[in-house]
Amino acid sequence: MNEVKKKEITLTIDGKKIKSEWGKTILEVARENGIYIPTMCYLSKVEPIASCRMCVVEVEGVDGMILSCQEKAVDGANITTSNDALFRERQKIMELYDVNHPLECGVCDKSGECDLQNKTLEYGVDAQEFAAKDQHRPMQNWGFVSYDPSLCIMCERCVRVCNEIVGDEALQISVGGYKSTIINVKQDEDCAECGECMAVCPVGALVSTDFKYTSNAWELDKIPASCVHCSSHCQLYYDVKHTSIDSPEPKIYRVTNDFEFSSLCGAGRFGYDFENRTATKESNKLKEAVEAFKRADTIRFSSMITNEEALLLQKIAKSVDARLVCDDAIGYQKFMKAYSSVSGKSLYGATLDTLKKSQMVVILGTRVYDDAPMVKYAITSAVKREKAQVVYLHPIEDNRIQNLVTQFIKYEVGSEEGVVSLLADTLIKKDGLDKSIKSLLDSLDIGYLSAESNVSEEELEQLKAKMWKRKRFTLVVGEDLYNHPEVENIARFIALIEKYSDFDLIAIPPASNTLGVSLICELDESASGYIVGYNAPGDYTLSALGDGDIDMPSLNQQEGTFVSIDKRVVPTHPALPYSGYELLDIAKELGESSEYIIEFTPSLPTKKGFKSINFDDLPDYFDVTGKSHRGYELDMVECESGSLPSEPQEIDSYDGTIVYRCNSGRAFNPFTSKCEQLKENEVTLRGSAQFAIAAKLSDGDSVKFTIDGIDYQRVFSIDTSLKGTIALNPIFDIGLSSFALSSYRFTKVKIEKTGQ
Amino acid sequence: MAKVVFSTWRGERIDNRGKDPSEWEESAFKLPEHYDESTPAKAFIGWDGVAIFTEELDAVRLAMEYAAQYQKYSEACGRCAPGRWGGRILYDLLDKIARGEGAFEDLEHLKEVSQTMMLTSKCEIGRTVPKPILDLMEFYKEQFDECILNAQKSKDYDNDINYIAKVTAPCMDMCPSHVDIPAYIEGVRDMVFTDSLVATRQTMPLAHTCGRVCPHPCEDACRRANLDEPVSIMELKRLGADYETDHGLGFLHPQEPKPPRNDGKKVAIVGAGPAGLTAAYYLGLEGIKVDIFEELPVLGGEVAVGVPEYRMPIDKYNKDIELVTSLESVTVYTNHRVDANRLKELDAEYDAVLLAFGTRLSKKVRAENEREDMEGYWGAIAMLDKVNLWNKYGIGSPASNELKDTTVVCVGGGFTSMDVVRCSIREGAKKVIMLYRRDEKTIIRNTTYEEYHEAVEEGVEFIFHSAIERIVDEDNKLKKLIVNRYELQPDPDGGRPKLVKIEGANFEIECDWLIPAVSQAADLQLLPKEWDIKLTSWNTLLTNGRDYMTSRPGLFAAGDCEYGPMTIVNAVGQAKRAASVISRYIYDGKVSLTDEEIMEDHLNKLGVYDKKEKITGWMPGIPRNVSQKLEVDERRDNNLEVNLGFTGEEAIAEAERCMRCYYIAMVAV
Repeated sequence: MNEVKKKEITLTIDGKKIKSEWGKTILEVARENGIYIPTMCYLSKVEPIASCRMCVVEVEGVDGMILSCQEKAVDGANITTSNDALFRERQKIMELYDVNHPLECGVCDKSGECDLQNKTLEYGVDAQEFAAKDQHRPMQNWGFVSYDPSLCIMCERCVRVCNEIVGDEALQISVGGYKSTIINVKQDEDCAECGECMAVCPVGALVSTDFKYTSNAWELDKIPASCVHCSSHCQLYYDVKHTSIDSPEPKIYRVTNDFEFSSLCGAGRFGYDFENRTATKESNKLKEAVEAFKRADTIRFSSMITNEEALLLQKIAKSVDARLVCDDAIGYQKFMKAYSSVSGKSLYGATLDTLKKSQMVVILGTRVYDDAPMVKYAITSAVKREKAQVVYLHPIEDNRIQNLVTQFIKYEVGSEEGVVSLLADTLIKKDGLDKSIKSLLDSLDIGYLSAESNVSEEELEQLKAKMWKRKRFTLVVGEDLYNHPEVENIARFIALIEKYSDFDLIAIPPASNTLGVSLICELDESASGYIVGYNAPGDYTLSALGDGDIDMPSLNQQEGTFVSIDKRVVPTHPALPYSGYELLDIAKELGESSEYIIEFTPSLPTKKGFKSINFDDLPDYFDVTGKSHRGYELDMVECESGSLPSEPQEIDSYDGTIVYRCNSGRAFNPFTSKCEQLKENEVTLRGSAQFAIAAKLSDGDSVKFTIDGIDYQRVFSIDTSLKGTIALNPIFDIGLSSFALSSYRFTKVKIEKTGQ
Repeated sequence: MAKVVFSTWRGERIDNRGKDPSEWEESAFKLPEHYDESTPAKAFIGWDGVAIFTEELDAVRLAMEYAAQYQKYSEACGRCAPGRWGGRILYDLLDKIARGEGAFEDLEHLKEVSQTMMLTSKCEIGRTVPKPILDLMEFYKEQFDECILNAQKSKDYDNDINYIAKVTAPCMDMCPSHVDIPAYIEGVRDMVFTDSLVATRQTMPLAHTCGRVCPHPCEDACRRANLDEPVSIMELKRLGADYETDHGLGFLHPQEPKPPRNDGKKVAIVGAGPAGLTAAYYLGLEGIKVDIFEELPVLGGEVAVGVPEYRMPIDKYNKDIELVTSLESVTVYTNHRVDANRLKELDAEYDAVLLAFGTRLSKKVRAENEREDMEGYWGAIAMLDKVNLWNKYGIGSPASNELKDTTVVCVGGGFTSMDVVRCSIREGAKKVIMLYRRDEKTIIRNTTYEEYHEAVEEGVEFIFHSAIERIVDEDNKLKKLIVNRYELQPDPDGGRPKLVKIEGANFEIECDWLIPAVSQAADLQLLPKEWDIKLTSWNTLLTNGRDYMTSRPGLFAAGDCEYGPMTIVNAVGQAKRAASVISRYIYDGKVSLTDEEIMEDHLNKLGVYDKKEKITGWMPGIPRNVSQKLEVDERRDNNLEVNLGFTGEEAIAEAERCMRCYYIAMVAV
């Protein structure tokens, strides 16, 4: 039967001759060709669910009705998507869906954007002719999300995204026929509370607990934007309307997205109210700011910045002859430069989409669950759909991703350079390899490196064995490496791996626009003298948090572009007005002639891969097939190559109590920390029971310690999901200081107990 | 062939109502007229119609109860809109009529909802449940009308009638272990691989094994074959098991294993092969103390020492074994041969003993001068023991010491002979010949196309239509074989073609080894003579094939030692049933079956799969996915697993071909 799998197929849908290719479903082909087939449960980004049965069609020569969402389009098929019989059955299904559905559209959050409402009207269901005994089904509060089982139509979309996209497997179907409901089995533990479930809910069953009863859907204006919190820069809309009857000030009520095709994490979905509302325009403040810039020896900023402002800062720094420092990007820039010097390319090879299609993933130097939710989502897709083998190398095991990881390799803190050299030796194909590289690899003292890093040769053999007969490999690396003292050599080894093995690389940009900053700015290593800080600490600070010497707009009040982890330049638009000065106002005082910040968009450096396209010409949508047309993809630029890594340095040993700088999945920075729904009352230092013994601490102890000159006062809590003697210390609550850290993420610290 | 008052089963239209019993037309199907020995059935209702065995039937209640059973099933599913709501409404409306509160328009609504369910439900169960209900509404219309007109309850509404139902599917029915195949495939489709595995383990603990080396009789009963090609059922099974192993999850059980009962009851099992392990698993899950006695130093029986590594990697099989031995109630004793004296001790000491020792005697090829003590004559079981004990456990010595650069002749035609020849290739034999009496088609039917094809690729020479007449030795060392050639002569009466020797066509093969793999027999020396255990005509332990008790009370038998050399899945199915019977027997001393098991047997007798059925509502022409295999050069000199299994994409595409052919059958007694 394999001849059926010929690539090109021709079929007819509703009389229209269509050319397509084997493997697509009837529904996909129809949609690509603008033919409407109604669905209730279908969701483009997951595999067909097939619960609603609305999408049935008729196929000539085939008896019965055919489920178009699941059945493949076959060469020569003649398909009818609508006729009286199909209408009747679809109408019947809607009648069944409507049986006992509460008539509370007037107060339901979903009203106006409800699929059940829409299809009920479309199929003219205006009476209920039979009933089933009603059941008592109380509402449930799952934290960020509330679930009303009586509104639930059991389409299973929420369960699908939780399992197939997010990977938390928190939502399950509690089967019970007419009594079926959705349950959250991880309500009390580690459900990521990402809100994906409510985003895809076609009815009012899953709604935001915070948003509930605050607005009708049709009153909200949707402002298209890119999420600012991490380097994924996911597509979203800020849903905006006036604050209240008394206040015409616009306010963001919630975040929505094109959930058919893209996803968000909890920070993106619930962390939207970080705008700077307090700003005013006082000309003396502006004058002060201008003076500060003129005086500056160093301009320090953070990766929470648009490309345009990064470029502007670069210009200002040049004009006032100041050093330009960005602590959360410097390590990454060093990494990428060293990477390019070996690979000959300006950018790494993989994207989140290629990661999703990988059959094997190796993760190194990142606690990926917390560092990069979208990377975790992509790995989930790879595991679920491609049966990917996932090797996770890190000093701390993460049992929240046990369902994703197939091999955990624990290495010693600080030994990253040794580990990448071992990986290079394991993964690089030796046949036909350049002599110099071969002799470099041959000269590695595997026994020593293995002993020092605690990565055994058996573990590496196992890793290698997983590659057997697989295709599509991705290496994912993260922040632990960028701030390692030997970052450049590490990067060179990694570039070597990408160049001479089957692996493609993703180097996760550690903060929001780190990739953009590292391409646009020439950064200096460290700050000195008089420091002007833009969303970073300084002698004079400009702060979008509202706590500086002068206010600045936050990123939901600005327009401009970011560079995403997918190496795309994506646009964002201001959701809220801003009444103070912005960076361009100061620049104008310093001689800048541009009127609007987006005038810089076409001037972003083309030699780094940017394109000379005006901001207003940047597309921002998904097409009907789900292909992203957001902004543009950076050009891959050839770089001078030829350098090689050197032998790894001797590995420093980290003994005793070690603290790892790590925010949690929904808390990325002081801006997420400012958001009402994401605020955490108590920020804790979390460690294992073993850590508690080593550090002589008990659960609930108050502790203090100092890292990078910052004093932390924390409550210590024992996290039974952790093992080993490394504790996790978040930094999202320390304000702008968190943007001035460029040290290695692991630090040996002395922890002082201050109380219980 | 059943006596019925009325039947619409599988398209027949029999209506003997009011006729003289001598004029009754018989049904063409083996319908369950009797539920068990002592209980006559009133009616049988299922996916394909309804059969009535009594004139005094309450058709309204029967319809309502059937809808109620669907409602109950749907409580384990309810995953499509028509099924979830339709099933509920079907039941509510029928009950309304049956209790005398119905209206004529309810009948119309019933028909409408039935139509929607039949056209659009996700599983076959939703599509088929309305059928017999509509039949009853049509042919027993007067009873429905009466209830509505007179606003009265149906005649048996308050009477005590037992309605016993069972969910099945053609594939489940055909599978000797009755694995819930649509459920484990659904787990793959949904990418909830843990659910998939748990569904398998309800009746099949050896998920790794039967996801790799099962000859999948289920696929011969796959309704998808009526449309295009059967679903690749077997290979989808390993996804759940591989997921559990790859992700280092703890063992997933179909139910939380119960703590040991410590009530003094205990069961002995002789043999730790598929049957012994299966029985131990299901008894152990119930907290019943089980001791397994295994003669070999390793666990796993023939799958461990017979099936080669390249087909069934031992690290995977060991996971299946560990699943069983990890249970608190299960203890194993290896290197523990049970002889007649020991069996007598076990019989005295334990509340029940299950014999599951397989068939480990190689049968002879029946040639002249065939002597087991001849150098070069090597029984298949012993040869495979040696190969596998060394390759998998490092016990003994490599078989290549014996086989390297030699000429090997194997006589066989089944799976064991395939293992012999393919292992011989891997152990470095210079020439490997398979002699088979019949033809290529038959050997493929007896094994699989892949198995035969792969053996040919690896260099095995197949000589068909031939059998050894005489073995020639020199000083008791095998020298050559004198082989007769046969031809197939068609039977003029249309029977099976006969093998006829071609005179003068004899030929000789010089060889170093003759490995007979024609069949295996049970080694019955452990049966105490005085017990006088009843045997089958082919010298295996006789049971009734339903409860698996031998002629000696308390002594049970399952697997090959009961059935004769058969498949793993057959051994598992028998042992699961035996374990269920034993779990009751050790408390009440009675041999009994559950309703579920009785229904299972009824349905099996009736036959669930209908080869001639026309499939509707599914797109034909979606090809079966084929998993990637190692190339011949990649596999012929090593023991790497040949079948790489489905990629994720292939697995999901294959799972989407499953039509979820669940059915409900119900008997009224």
